[in-house]
Formats: sequence, structure tokens, C-alpha cells
Amino acid sequence: MPDWIIACVPALPLLAALMIAAGYVSGSNRDEAGERQTRRIALSAATLSFLILLYADLFALINGKLPGYIQVFTWFHSGDYHINISFLLDTPGLIMAHLVSLLSLITLHFSVNYLHREAGYPRFFMIMSLFTAAMLLIVMAGNTLLMFVGWELAGVCSYLLIAYSHERTTAADNATRAFVTNKIGDTGFLLAIILSFFWINSTEWPDIFIHTGVLDSLHSGLIASGLLLAAMAKSAQIPFSPWIARSLEGPTPSSAIFYGSLMVHAGVFLLIRMQPLLMHTPELMWMIAIIGAATALYGFIGSLVQTDVKSALMFSTTGQTGLMFLACGLGWFEFALWHLVAHAIWRAYHFLSAPAMMHLLNGHTRFVPAWIQKRRQLYTAALQRFWLEQITDWLFVKPTLALARDAQAFDQQVVNRLVGLPGSIGAVSSLAQWEKQKSTHSMQLDGDSGDIGRGRGLLGKLMEWIASLLHWFEEHLVLKGGDDGILHAVIRLGEVLTRVDEMLSRPRYLLLMLLLTFVVIL
Amino acid sequence: MIRKTHSPREEILQRLRGAIQHMEHVLPGQAAIKDFVHHNTLHGFEHLPFAEAVEKACEITGNFGYLPQTRFRALFKQGRITLDELRTTLDETANLKASDIIFKAADRDISQADIYLARLLHPIKPVTGCQINWQLGELNALHAFQPDIDSIARERLLKTADLNEHQAIFDLWSACLHILGLDHFIAHPEDMLDLTPEKAESMLSQTLANDDHPDDQPVIDFLIRKHARRDMDKLFSQIGEKLTLEGMLKKLTGEDLLEQMRPLLIRYMAAFLDQGFSAWPGPGREEGFYTFWRKSAVFDKTSVFDDFPDWADTLDALPEDAFDTVVIELRWLGIDEGKWESYLQRLALELPGWSGMFLWRHNRPGYDGLTNVNVNMMDYLAVRLVLERLFAQRLCRNLWQIEASIDVIRWYFKHHLAEFMVRQNFYNQHLPEYLSTLAQNHLNCSDICTPDEQQWWHLAHLIWTWQHSTSNGNPSSYNLFNSAWPLFRLSQHLGLSDAEIRKLDITQIDRIFNCLKAMDKHQASFIWLQAYERHYRDQLFNAVIQNHGRGLWKTRDKRPDAQIVFCMDDREEGMRRHLEEHNPDIETLGAGGFFGLPINWLGLDDEQITPLCPVVATPSYEIQEHPQPHQEALLQKRKQRLSTGQKLQNLVFQETRRNLLVTTCLVLINAPVTLAVLTSKTWVYSRFGRWLENKRKTLSVPVATEITINTEQPDKPATPETPRVGLTDIEQADHIERFLRTIGLQHTLAPFVVMMGHGSISENNPHLAAYDCGACSGRHGGPNARAFAAIANRPAIRRLLRERGIDIPDDTWVLGAEHNTCDENIIWYDRDQIPASLQENFTHLQKGLYIATLGSAHERSRRLASAPKGDSRTKALRHIYARSKDFSQARPELGHATNAAAIIGRRSISQSAFFDRRVFLISYDPAYDPDGSIVENILLTAGPVGAGINLEYYFSAVNNDQYGCGSKVTHNVTGLLGVMQGTSSDLRTGLPKQMIEIHEAMRLQVLVEATEETLTKIYMRQPPLQQLVGNGWLLLSAIHPETGKISVFKPGEGFIPWEHENTPLTRVSNSEDWYKGHTEPLPPALIDQQNSAVKHA
Repeated sequence: MPDWIIACVPALPLLAALMIAAGYVSGSNRDEAGERQTRRIALSAATLSFLILLYADLFALINGKLPGYIQVFTWFHSGDYHINISFLLDTPGLIMAHLVSLLSLITLHFSVNYLHREAGYPRFFMIMSLFTAAMLLIVMAGNTLLMFVGWELAGVCSYLLIAYSHERTTAADNATRAFVTNKIGDTGFLLAIILSFFWINSTEWPDIFIHTGVLDSLHSGLIASGLLLAAMAKSAQIPFSPWIARSLEGPTPSSAIFYGSLMVHAGVFLLIRMQPLLMHTPELMWMIAIIGAATALYGFIGSLVQTDVKSALMFSTTGQTGLMFLACGLGWFEFALWHLVAHAIWRAYHFLSAPAMMHLLNGHTRFVPAWIQKRRQLYTAALQRFWLEQITDWLFVKPTLALARDAQAFDQQVVNRLVGLPGSIGAVSSLAQWEKQKSTHSMQLDGDSGDIGRGRGLLGKLMEWIASLLHWFEEHLVLKGGDDGILHAVIRLGEVLTRVDEMLSRPRYLLLMLLLTFVVIL
Repeated sequence: MIRKTHSPREEILQRLRGAIQHMEHVLPGQAAIKDFVHHNTLHGFEHLPFAEAVEKACEITGNFGYLPQTRFRALFKQGRITLDELRTTLDETANLKASDIIFKAADRDISQADIYLARLLHPIKPVTGCQINWQLGELNALHAFQPDIDSIARERLLKTADLNEHQAIFDLWSACLHILGLDHFIAHPEDMLDLTPEKAESMLSQTLANDDHPDDQPVIDFLIRKHARRDMDKLFSQIGEKLTLEGMLKKLTGEDLLEQMRPLLIRYMAAFLDQGFSAWPGPGREEGFYTFWRKSAVFDKTSVFDDFPDWADTLDALPEDAFDTVVIELRWLGIDEGKWESYLQRLALELPGWSGMFLWRHNRPGYDGLTNVNVNMMDYLAVRLVLERLFAQRLCRNLWQIEASIDVIRWYFKHHLAEFMVRQNFYNQHLPEYLSTLAQNHLNCSDICTPDEQQWWHLAHLIWTWQHSTSNGNPSSYNLFNSAWPLFRLSQHLGLSDAEIRKLDITQIDRIFNCLKAMDKHQASFIWLQAYERHYRDQLFNAVIQNHGRGLWKTRDKRPDAQIVFCMDDREEGMRRHLEEHNPDIETLGAGGFFGLPINWLGLDDEQITPLCPVVATPSYEIQEHPQPHQEALLQKRKQRLSTGQKLQNLVFQETRRNLLVTTCLVLINAPVTLAVLTSKTWVYSRFGRWLENKRKTLSVPVATEITINTEQPDKPATPETPRVGLTDIEQADHIERFLRTIGLQHTLAPFVVMMGHGSISENNPHLAAYDCGACSGRHGGPNARAFAAIANRPAIRRLLRERGIDIPDDTWVLGAEHNTCDENIIWYDRDQIPASLQENFTHLQKGLYIATLGSAHERSRRLASAPKGDSRTKALRHIYARSKDFSQARPELGHATNAAAIIGRRSISQSAFFDRRVFLISYDPAYDPDGSIVENILLTAGPVGAGINLEYYFSAVNNDQYGCGSKVTHNVTGLLGVMQGTSSDLRTGLPKQMIEIHEAMRLQVLVEATEETLTKIYMRQPPLQQLVGNGWLLLSAIHPETGKISVFKPGEGFIPWEHENTPLTRVSNSEDWYKGHTEPLPPALIDQQNSAVKHA
């Protein structure tokens, strides 16, 4: 079997996404009649891609061994650095590729009728195809870089589909929130890639696995931590969990596949993928187990108090991914893999049937025991999702926002003036000014600074300032000869300094200083 | 601030209770989703005439109640509304004085109607400075016709002007400016960035001339203060009527407090109202929402992280009683006592869906067996008020370091008028970019450089200057944007040349603008709607008139093969037509699908009763289903199986979201099965669905059943409060007699009389009940049909009936059945009891009905995008069936999406004509109703049901975002009580987009076969009808039983003969010939009867 055929598995849905996008740009699939074109492209790509995987199975069956590591071609190289388009179809890779391909195909099929006559029909199918490609890249990639490409694409798709009804503020806000949270994880991923380039000279999974034995535990631990951070964010482990419960604003099928069944498991898969790396860092394994257990508990208790179908399913899913993390932490990677597969299949079905969940409930849900029911404090905590989100907001979002405001103020007060942008110009722009000018004819005579000339921007102001300075010198020191002028100038300078001092004593600046100190030390 | 005088507690309590009751009029009254029943979305406004009600509702809730003008214009282009219909409607609208002539143009008179028509057909709207610059600069508007001007107007204008287009249009523009006394000077808003001394001087002198002002202080400052104070008074006076504190703060800060508190509030509210979805019911729900919230909120750390320092103190200080809290909070806010009711209403309306559900449950204590949940609207209002205060407090403190009471805020702005002016303009007006950027900088500034008073004033000056410049049209007099441009567009549409415009005097100009202003958005839309309805009405009446004398069964001279009584449902019109086309010897009738038997039904597997009758009635009788003798053992087995099945279902679907470790085990075991199910449901859903259906049937152990219709306690009175199991003979006979007389079936009963109830079953559909029988409170009507048949087959009852003059022949057998309107399947009840002699006839009847379902499925397919459009009827039926089994199908069926009219009368009026499944058909024979009491009763029962369905569809269709519940695609069922969009939206009421897409939004035309005198008498004595018909919620017409002449009821005037020239109608030999190849709504056609049937006419 030629290697390039394997590359077609993720490439076909990607191509479909591009074709649908092209169709949209050219206007050929925008109306109701265009739905046929859209769904044909998306479905045929997904089907073909699945068939290729079956073909690969057949091949593996005949040969009696898995395809394993396949290097299709070198994307680019520079000196010792090689970046390859390569795939790793070992047991987890191959199983996951099937899972992703089949579930995406089923969901696309589901969406054909479900999304009929939606204004965003082509958009939805385009993103879903893109997402399929992204997920396939994640599970099949032979190196961290290619996986990262999939990782990012999946994140973007998730953003776009949460904001499917972008006219609703809640949807748009939640999309941004999910996106930003994921970005934190992505920095970890990026760090791991850079470090492995640095220390191993390669990003290929097999190379990383070989070198883990050679690297000292700090180095391999750092690489693993970066990846772990990414996995935690993607699989919504504590403390990143809140984003996923907010992400259920999109159409039901996309919620099903993103947060119910596939993307939410990407983090777990990453852990399974980096198993050899983790085995060398037992401390990290402990951490994973603790995080997993905490997330499982968070998901479980959270799911008990949810009153809407989608949130309830989401918390439950979070609980299960927590268990998968726990399993990985305990070293039960194979179990985690089977758990992942089974759970992904079940949750896809569960989410797709969410609209009918009310008809599938006989009476009421089995209540928790009475002694738990009475625990009001725990109930409130669960209902408010253990305030995870508020805590992160309080710790990070609010200070950042305030810093941004300060930066904007700095921009207006200092930078804009310096470069001479309008906004602080002094020409007459309101009638009141005109009225004032008219009533005080003496104003022009009275002018004590800028009437020698006007300039904009740094150079302009500089010239203006020199002229004014000379004028002022003449006026105050030569003509008036008194101390008043200088005194005023000193007082004003003092005021400015006090303000700067005040500003620096605000907690966010202290924090910033602290951070800066750390950065410098590191 | 505490007011000095206030009424005693009890009096206030009564007042507030009254206010809560009144909220029923404005909040959505939709039931919990599984008990969905169609009702008029504006039920609380029914005491007002339709147009007034729509406008009033819009004023209160902000929801517009008509189709957008663009949709109407599109309908006009499609020919669904014609110019004549618009003109007639305009003429009939008295206050418009449409026929008054305004002036004489070169070759014709221009009447007010011409202006109205131009305004209806084209958007003649004021423009903004930027838009006009674009028009002139990019679209060459001063030298070419506007693109939407029709050719007649173009020709006329060019002919009168006798110039080329380039010059004629330019001259016209000059004429428009000239006649309004305006200059052609259009400044770009950004030009105001730097004022030239000349410009500033001229503007200043103009201002000085226009306004009164004292001489001793700066004029501009004085004027800004004056106007800002006026605006401020206006804004604050709206609090309590149009605004809440939240609303006012949003207008001044852009902060949406509701948006911020919504997740917090909704979590508690959903937890409180939940009907059993969550595994952990909120602790202490029995104490009421207020206490539930208060006790939980104490532990809520949101206060810490979200910066609410007074959270704990506020909660501590709250009184025990919700009512006291409401009063204290209102006083604290500083709301005038006279405005308390309206303030609370406004507050409730900010979250209409949830508030409506709260009120609905408030009015139904113990609903759904939830006796331990004490739902009181006062609790809800108290929590809303407290939260509003907490959030407002935080905002006001952060921004202005003041308390969040109205008086304090007013005091603050009194001293900061410039800031008020900037805020007011930035958040509520459209400012040009140079101003909005500046304002934004001031408003979102960092706390290290808050703008000082001088900076606010500077910005206020800039805004004021811009507002008084020519780049922002001065609204008080004629100006470029609001007057010249509309006049210019209007002249082009009317084909008026510059010379004709120049001849106008000032009063004529005024009249033109008055016409443009007189017809606001509401009135214009109402005129469109009436014209739209008129178009359909005329088509319908035209068909009915031409069908006069053609339809069968005016009198029953021959005994039909069978009589089938369907539900009056519009969906059954197609089925009935196809059945009659197949076998004209079958007579079909229509009635409310509960067949005059309001019952509480306890089915074999049910644990609680279900009322099956229109929602306005409450049954006095209970009918139970029991196993037949010797089936008890089977029943035990069935119960066991069923219970196991339910446990399994709960385990698989509910425990997997509830239980942590069990889920892991379950998914691991289940995965292969799930994968198989998922793939089957995706690729072979139809076959899989059928297999599952059969499996379920056999696994659940079928038990032969019978129903209890006779009571064992004949002496116990049966009342709605204390319903009794079974009916006495007399009661049974009464019900059967009344029903048969109502539908005019008191003689010549066929060998088979079938009561055909209906329901709808589909997959993955939270709105399931919305597709079911409206006459059975959104349930299936089968049990009523079955009970009716069982009663009517009893010899004792037949004897009683014979004594009363209704002879059910001995060889007549009454059968109950249920039609599934989704997959077209028919279930027959008690078939085993059909006499052997009739078995063969029954097989024949079944076959006929199967053929009718084929036809119905085929006809339905024409309007379903993914259905096959070929000739094959079996293929169509296969598709229809498959659709019902497809869990990805958001449109399992289209429901009542085509309803438009109701005909109350003999089938002969409508039989042998094609009405496109758009008509409710209600059987009634005027020949047996001399005093009109029967039709009176029909109008009183069927009227509200029909209006409920029609008006819910109407409002959900015209404004799906606000009156409907939006697209199903993002719906999320919450608490088993309704759907949200996403996870923290308001509860969405009304119908989803998928149900109304093809609906033609118009009011129901009700055509009654009765004399005008009879109907007028009924109208005079029935206030409910005066409300429904007199206020135009239903459009009533009468067709004379003998002459077939139609007259239309006009409120205030009475019946007016419908005079219309007969428009030729297409005649076809069967329905298919007419609908084949069409996917759009079709006008009526006449169907030629088969020859064999003509002799029965």
C-alpha cells in the first residue's frame, strides 16, 4: 500500500472543507438548492476516508502487522531540523482513526436532515469537514508538529461552531472563552515542540520515545508537562473544566461530536500517545491521577444538579474523561484507550438523542440519597460549578482587563500625542469653543504657550516646543522675571509623579512587577 | 429613600397579588413542553381588536406582530397579494381617507391612496448622512432612476418632463429641494472634526436665533444643560412603565445586568422548577423559591470572586417573607408606589419565558405531582429585585461611587449633566465615528485616568455641535434626510416630474408628508395582512360558490358504504379527499377529535390519568382500560416486562449521565451494541425502526383489553372536581345523541361508522405534543374514539337513542380508530368485536383507507424537500414512514403549517374541491338546527381551538425569534419543562422555526353554513364570540344553506354580501392532477366526481 494513500485519510475531509468554502465564495451552494452539493462533497470525502482506513486494515490483516510509523514526505528541513508529514498508525492510532472517521461520518449524516434550511448549512458542513480532518491529524500524526496542526484546527472549528448563532451574545462570548482557555493549553504544546526540537532534534514520536530513556528526567519531564497542559485544557480537566460546559451553544450534532465524543477525548489520547514519555516521569503520573480524580469528582457532583439535558451530559462526560486521566495516571493506558473508545461511541449517540431524552425518562431520575440531598452547601457549590470560573476570572481575567485599559490610556495619553494622531488636536470643533473664543477676544493675546506655531507628531511638537520654550523663557524669566511660572511647573510635575506612584502601588502592577522579576531571573 | 405615606400592608398585598394575576395577560402562557397545547400567543390581549392588540403587545413586550414588510413585498411579487386587493383594503380603512385627492398631476389626480401604495410597495424611508453620501457618490442617484422604479413610472416621468433621464432626475431633485426650501449641501459627518470659522459663526447665530436663553451666561452650555435635563427627566419618568433599573442602567452604561445575572438566576430557577430531570432536587423546595434561593445564596461564593462586598449583609437583612422583601426593595429603589405594579410587570417581562413558566406553575399548584414544590410568583419577583439591586449596586459603586437607588442616580446626574448627555447619546444614538471613538475612550477609561468634568463637557460640546449641524438632519422641520430624500423617491415612484413637484403648494406638501407619516409600520403591515387574507379568502369563496351543488351528501338519500368521522384537523382534509376520490360511496365527517366525550383516560400501562378533551374543559368521567377476562396472567407478565424495560431504559439513558462508575461499566459493555444501533439509525433507520417497533410489541406481551364505560356507582354525581369511573346509560346516551346531532349524523347511518382519532409519533422531538390532537389537549384521540364506539354499540344505548329519535340501525357497527398523522398508520380498536357478517366489508374499508393514506402521503411529499416527487405512491408512503423513524429529522411532519380556514357545515360545501390541506372541516347540518343552538355550541368549542392553533402558528411565523422559539437545531430541553437556546437562555415559547417555515401567516377564515340571522343572533348573545370575532381574531363569514350565497361579517357593521365575479377554476379529475409538480401553496380547484357517485348528489 503506497504511503500517500494514508495521507489521503485526513486530506480528503480537508479538501472537502476547502471545496465547500470555495462553493460558498463562488455562491454555488448558498441557497437551499446548494445543500445537495454541500452534503455530497462532505459525505463523499468522509466516506472515502473511512474506506481507505478499511483498506489499510485489510492490508494489515494480509501482512500480519500494523502499518506503524509512515513517513510520507519531508515538509521542509533546515540544517539538522526535519519536519515530516508522517503518520503513526500503531494500535491506538489506528483504532482512534477508525473511531474518528466513523463517528464523523455518522454525525455528518445526521446533520443532513437536521440542519436542512439553516442559513449556516454550508458553513456548518465546511467546519465539520475541517474538524474531521483536524481530529484525524491528531490521532494519526507521526510527529508532534503535525498533531499540533490538527490540535489548533480542531480548536478553531470548536470556536466557530460554538459561535454558530453568532448573533446571540452568549454564544459569541462562550466561543471566545473556550478558545482562549484552549490557547493556554496550546502554549504548553508549543513549548513541548520547541523543547523537543531543542533537546532531541526531532519532533517525530518514535524519536521522542527513543530519547526519553536518554534524556534526564527534568528534560523529559518538561516536555511531558507541556503536552500535559495541552491535554488538560483540551479534555477540560480541572482547572480548565468550565469552558466545556459553556460550549454547548452550537447545533446539537456539533455538540455531540466535539464535546460529547471526539474532541473532548483528544487530551486523553495525547496522554496515551505519550505513554513512554510519561512512564519516565512518575511524579507527573501522580499529578495526572490526582487531576483526573478531581475532575471525575467535579463532573460527577456537577452532573447531579444539572437540569438541562446538554449540561447534564457534558458534566457526565467531564467525569468520564477525569476517570480516563486517572487511569492514565495509574498507568492503565490500555484500559483508558478502551474506555475512551466505548465512551466516545456511547456519548455520540447520547448527545444525538438529547432532544428525546425527556421521552426516554420514566418518572424522574433516580434521586441521590436523602443525606446527600440535604447538604445545601455542597448543593450550592455544585450548582455554581465550584466557582472554578469565577476564580479564574478573579485571578487572571480581571487583572488582564484592567491592564489592557491602562495600556489603552497610555496609548491615548502618550503614544497618540507623540505620533500626532488626531483626538487631542486643539482646533475648534465645537460651537462652545467658538463661543468662548468670541467672548474672550483677548485669548489670542493672552496665549502663554502654543501660539507661536502648531505642530503635530513628535517632530512637529518638538519644534513647537522649542519655539514655545524660547517664548516662555522670554515671557516668564525675561519679561515677568518672577517665580510663579516655575513654581507652577514644579507643582504640576509633582502631581504627575504622585499619580505614577499611585498607579504603581496597585496590586496588578505589583503582580506584573513580580512576574517581570521572575521572567528576568529565568 | 422611604416615602412618608404608604398604604397598609394588607392593601399593598392585595394590589401586588392583583398585579401578579394581571401578568397572565402579558407573559407567555405556554404549558410545560410535554403538555404543549396550541393557544393564541396574545391570549392576554384578546379583549382588544387584533390590530390594536398587536400594537399594544409590541409596545409592552417589544415584539413586532406582523411579517416584515420585505416579506409582504415578496408575496406581492409572487402574486399572492395584488394591487387591487391593496387598494380595496386601503379604501376600507376609514381613518386613512384613501380616496381624497391631494393634487392634480399632468394627466391624473394623485390621491392619498397613491401615496400609501407607494409607501407600501417601496421602502421610502429617511436616510442618514452617510447613506445619502453613498447614494449620491456611488450610486449616481441624482442622475439616474432609483433601481426599484417600475417602467410605467419611468415612462410617465420622462414623458411629462420631456428630458433625458440624466437631466430629468437632476431637475426632480432640485425641485424637491426647492419646494422644501433646502440647499444642496451635504456635509460628511467627519467634516465636523474641524469647524471653519464661517461655519461655526453661521451655526452659532442660527442657534442664538432659535432658542431662548439668558444673556449673561454661555449659551451653548445653557442649552446643553436645558436639553440634558429634559432628556434626563424623560428617561427617569420611564422607570416603572417602560424601564426597570436594569433597563435604565443599560441605557446609561451599556452594561447588561440581566445578561450578567442570567446564568446565576437561571441555575437556581431551573433547579427549583425542575420536574424530575436532575438527580439532586434542590434542598428545601417546599419552602418556596425565595427561601430556597436565600438559603443557598448564603453559601454562594460568587459574591467573593465577583466582587459583591454587600452580598452577605444584604442577604442577612432580608426579611423572611417574599412580599416584605418586594415592598422593601421597591421602596429602597425609590419607585413611586403608584408604579409598583407596572414595575414588577416590566421586571417579569425582561425574562418572559422563565417568568411565564413561573406564573404558569404558580397558577397550577401541585402540577405534575410536584406537591412538595411551592411555586409562588411573589418569591420569584423578590429574588429578581434583590439580584437586580446587588448587581446594580456593584455597577453604580464602580462607576460613580454611589448607591443604586433611582433618587441617588438622578442626583448624581443632575450634577454631571455633561456626562449624562455623553452617555445618553453614545449608548442610544448613532454617533459618527470621530465622536464614538472619543466617547468610548471616556467611558471605558482606566481607573488611573478617569475623565474629569471638563473633559465630559468638551465631549458634550462636540456631540451637541454635531447634532445641530447639517450632517445630522434636524428633526423638527423639513430637511434633506427626512424630507427631501423621501419626497425624491416618492416622486419617482409616482412618475412625477420636476414641474409637477414645483407646482405644489405648502399645504399639499404637508399632506403628502402627513400621508407618509400617518401610516406607521403597524398600520402598513395590517393593511398588507388584510390584503393577503383577502386574496386567500376570495380564492376560497370563489371555489365554494362554484362548488355549490356539486358536493355529495348534502342530503343522505342513499346509505353510504361507511361514515368516517375524522378530527376537524386541517391535516385530515387531504386524507378525506383521497378517500372520497377512491370511493365516493364513503361519507366523511369532521368534528373535534375528542368526539364529544371529555374523559380522563387511564390506559393499561398508565399510572396516572390523562385528560382527553379541549384544554378549556375538565372531564367528569374516567375511562379505564382493563385486560379482557383470562388475560390477567398475561397482564402480570406484561407489567413485569414493561417495568424491566423501563428500568433498562433508565439505566441505559439516565444512569449513564448520573452515575460515575456505573457509566464506565455500562459504556464498556454497551459500546458494540451502541455502535450497531447508531449505524442502523443512520443508514437503515426505516427498517431498524420497524424492527424495533415489532420487537417492542412482542416483547411487551400484547394483552387483549376492554374499556370500562359503564359506571358501578350510578348514584355518585360526576363532576370535574370528583370525576367518576364510567358513565350511566343516560349519560352515555346523552353524549352520543349530542354528538350525532352536532355533526348532523342523526339519520341514515352506514353499516360502518368509524370514529377516527389522531395523534403523531416521531423520534427525537421535544415538541411532540405540538403535533398531536389540539382537541385532546395535545394528546392522542384514539381512546375517545374507542370509548365512543363501545358506547354506541351497546344495544341499551341504541334503544335509548331510538326513543329520542335517532335510529342506529342494528346492522350498523361503530368502530374506533386512530390515525397517526406522521407516518399515516391507522390503529383499529376492538376489531375482534366486529360482527362476522361485516368482516368482509371491514377488509374492504381498510383497503380503501390504505389507499387514502397512500394518496395523503403522496400529497404531503410535494411539500417536503427530501421526499420523492415521482408518481409512485407507495414510495411516498415509504418515505413518510421512514421520516417518522429518522432520529435526525427535524421535520417529521409539517403539523398545521398550512392551516388557513375552517368550514362549519355539511361536507357538500367542500366535497369535490381541492383545498390543499388548509381547511379545518367541521360537520354540521343546518337543516336540523332551526334555532341555531347546535352551531352556537360548535362555534363556542371549535372556535377557540381553531383560533388557538391558527394564531399560535401566525405569531410564531411572523416573528419566530420572539413569538416563536427559533431553530430546533440549538434547542436544549431543560427541567422537562421547556427548551432553551444553548445552556443559559430564556425559556423559548411558541413554535420552532422548522414547524412554521411554509406557513402562510394569516388569520383563520371561518365559513359557517347558516343564515346571517342565526349567526347574528348567536353573536349578540355570546360575549366570547363577540371577543373572538368582533375583535377580528377570527374572520367570520356565512354561507346560506339554501342559496349558497356568502356574506362576510364586518365588526360593527354586520354581515355584508360577498360580491365577486366568478374567477374560472381549474377542473381536474383527481387531486394529483392538480398538485403534481408543485411545491408551493396551491389555490383551490374543482375535482370531477367519478360517474358512479353523481346519482347520490
